[in-house]
Amino acid sequence: MSEFLSMSGYGKYLWPAFALGFGVIVLNVIMAVNSLAKAKLEAKRRMEMNP
Amino acid sequence: MATWTWFHRFGSPPWVYGFARRWTPWFGGAAALCMLVALYGGLVLAPEDYQQKDAFRMVYVHAPTAWLSMMVYTTMAVAAAVGLIWRMKVAHAAAAACAPVGAWFTVAALGTGMLWGKPMWGTYWVWDPRLTSELLLLFLYLGYMALRAGIEDPNKADKASAMLAVVGVINIPVIKYSVEWWNSLHQTPTVMKMGKPSMDLAMLWPLLLMFLAFALYFAAVLLIRLRAELLRRERNASWVREVLS
Repeated sequence: MSEFLSMSGYGKYLWPAFALGFGVIVLNVIMAVNSLAKAKLEAKRRMEMNP
Repeated sequence: MATWTWFHRFGSPPWVYGFARRWTPWFGGAAALCMLVALYGGLVLAPEDYQQKDAFRMVYVHAPTAWLSMMVYTTMAVAAAVGLIWRMKVAHAAAAACAPVGAWFTVAALGTGMLWGKPMWGTYWVWDPRLTSELLLLFLYLGYMALRAGIEDPNKADKASAMLAVVGVINIPVIKYSVEWWNSLHQTPTVMKMGKPSMDLAMLWPLLLMFLAFALYFAAVLLIRLRAELLRRERNASWVREVLS
């Protein structure tokens, strides 16, 4: 396992790169879902104000 | 005739909203599955490179993020052009939905590239044509979003930002061919080139699968963002009331 994590000594560059890449993937999903939830909420509020 | 029917459907906000809602889970699920298999293939099954050793595995995150940063911009520019030419609101909404996703993937491409550059080139950054043109891509995304945010009238914001997106697309071939046109520290293409990829099949298949995973992922995120954009733009339309009630 430690050999795998070490990645022939390049682990200190490789794992942060994967964390950044896949962190951006997760972040984009969260931001997109939040944006949709906010838009739905705004539209519902508007509907309640103008029934 | 069938093509035009399809094209007209994509001009209808309620139809696109329904399409996006139905297809997002499929694209998202397929992306997650492909990503997991590609990660296992790239990190565990692929043999180490004879020169770069295990550092070459950086390709499984750097190449797809860099490719996506350009693919998203191209999609944004095409959508913006369609919006300008055919005055299609959905196309402008799609272009606006692309920008934040593309900006984040450009940040990831630059960051992962820097982390690969340090052990291979001995430095995180050089003002190399490939790196500089990719940085310019980030500024184009930021400029596009700032321009949209700075104009209050949505129609004017659509037109001005679409012009910027279309003009800025010239940077995409510059990024792609920068390593061939100029002397560059960055390596020349190994997969996206004429002829056979210069990569062993055992290393290549996880990379190709990762490209597919990123494309499917982009489709899923774009469709979620597109729904949000459509709801904001069409907030007074009757179909929004029907969809949300």
